This record gives sequence, C-alpha cells and structure tokens, in this order.
Amino acid sequence: MSVDVVGAVMGDPDPDLVDVRAAQVDHSAFGTLYRRYLDRVYGYCFYLLGDHHDAEDATERTFLAALAAIDRYRDQGSTFRAWLFRIAHNQLANALRVRSRQRTAPLDVVTEPMAPGDPAAELVQAEEARTVRRAVALLAEDRRQVIVLRFVDGLSAREIGAVIGRSEGAVRVLQHRALRDLAALLARR
Amino acid sequence: MNPSPSVAERLDHTIGQMLGGASPAVASASAGLDLTTRPLIEVAESVRAALPVLPASPGFESRLDARLRGAVASRDAMAWALSHPGRLIVTGAVGSAVGVGVTAYAVWRSSRRGAPHRFLGR
Repeated sequence: MSVDVVGAVMGDPDPDLVDVRAAQVDHSAFGTLYRRYLDRVYGYCFYLLGDHHDAEDATERTFLAALAAIDRYRDQGSTFRAWLFRIAHNQLANALRVRSRQRTAPLDVVTEPMAPGDPAAELVQAEEARTVRRAVALLAEDRRQVIVLRFVDGLSAREIGAVIGRSEGAVRVLQHRALRDLAALLARR
Repeated sequence: MNPSPSVAERLDHTIGQMLGGASPAVASASAGLDLTTRPLIEVAESVRAALPVLPASPGFESRLDARLRGAVASRDAMAWALSHPGRLIVTGAVGSAVGVGVTAYAVWRSSRRGAPHRFLGR
C-alpha cells in the first residue's frame, strides 16, 4: 500500500472525478480543472524545459489536448491528474524532440521567494536553492522527471509510473537513485 | 507497505510524509529508515525547498483561459449541429437557395446592363 503526498491512500476515489464528470457533461466546467492544475502543469513543463516561453507553449498544448480528449477519459485505476500529466509528458517529449537536446538553461531563472527576515540568511538560502536546482538539471532525464513530478507536483509513485510509463516499484528505485546522484553532486560542490 | 519494504519503498514513504508536512526526523523514523539514509533525507528536504510550485503569469493564465473558452464554444456549436441534423439540413438548403437566387439575380442584372452596349456595337 502506498501513501499519497497529501496522506490519501492510493486506491481511494480520485478527488477530481466529480469535476471530470461535470466537464464531460458540460465542457465549460473544465475551467475548474484548468485552474486547479495550471500552476502545477506549468511548473512541470518549466522545470523540464528550463524556459518560460517553451513552458507556456507546452502548458497551452497540454490543456487544449486535455479538453479535446476529456470525453474519452475513463477512470481505469489511475487518477485524472496522472492522465493530465501524461499528456503534459507527451507534449514535453515533442518539445524536447524539436529542440534536439535534453535541456536548455539550468534552472536558475526561478525567483526566490523573499520572506521578511535576515537578508544574509536569505541570500545563503537562495544560493543553496540555486545549487540544488543546478544539480537537479544535471540528472538523467528519467530521474529528473521523477524528482519534479514527486516534489513539485506532488504525484505518488503510482501516478508517476502512469505518467512516464514505468511500474510503481521502478519509480521508487529511480527516485532513490536520483537522490543518491544529487547527494553525490552536492557533496562535490 | 510490504511486510519487508525495500529502502526505496521506505524512502518513498518518508518523502510522502515530508511533502504532507511531517518533519524529516519524524517521517524517517515512522518509515523505519536507519542512519545510513540520513544524507538522502537531507537531500530530499533541500530539493523540496529548492523546487517551489511556480505560478504561471496572470497574462498567460487569462490568455489560455480565453482560448479554452473559445474551444469549448466551438465544440458546443459543433455538438449542437450534430445533434440537430434536420435543422442543419434546412439551414444548408435555405443557404444554398439564397446563394442561387443572388447569383441568378446578378446574372440577370448584368445581362440587362450589357444589352444597350451590344446594340451600340452593331
């Protein structure tokens, strides 16, 4: 039994299912799902592509494709968000193929949220975050996908498996290896 | 979890709890992780802090919202047309009849205007 990031046990009903059914009956209800997942899909695209404009293009194509296919969505053991991120995954694969390279700029363009407090400590924190993002950008693509889907988008191992076409166990192993790689990369700095 | 979960499973369980708000210490203890995995938990905590959810820009959000609304409207119009084939046929027939009428009128008008010139040319 695996545990979802929000504490829900996998196998529970999909929390989006009511909204998905509503969107299948009345397409204008798709807006609820769009607003719920826009930032997370955009974040996934941005962290994999490393460019805001490319991330916006991939996000736009993802939601237009999801709207076009929403009538065909069936609850078959995986969640709506896994289905949605699978579409985003395919859009990213197309974008990367067009570019003919695995990544662009390192993930340095993220603006650090500056909380009120000690400016020196915040600078150190921001620099540490940049170092971690550079290390994430150096990971192999499948490991980077797992890290982003898990830590940014909050998908469970089972859902990530549905997105990238691997088993739940394989995703956990990839995650373990990715963290081991990151530990080695960060130890070298 | 399985009766004897692997390190990868325990680690995944710990990360799930951390992402749900638990402290790394509590999460790793509840998953039964030993001290050898502590560096990985620390890395996981750093990654969680370094990769925030990024909000899309408001301009992009409203542009895409408008595109989705447009797509919904055209889909609904198409669905309405397909669900009322009789009305679609009548609309098509009336449209065709109007088109034929306008064309016939234009031909008739042009033939009447051209007639005096033909006489003058003789």
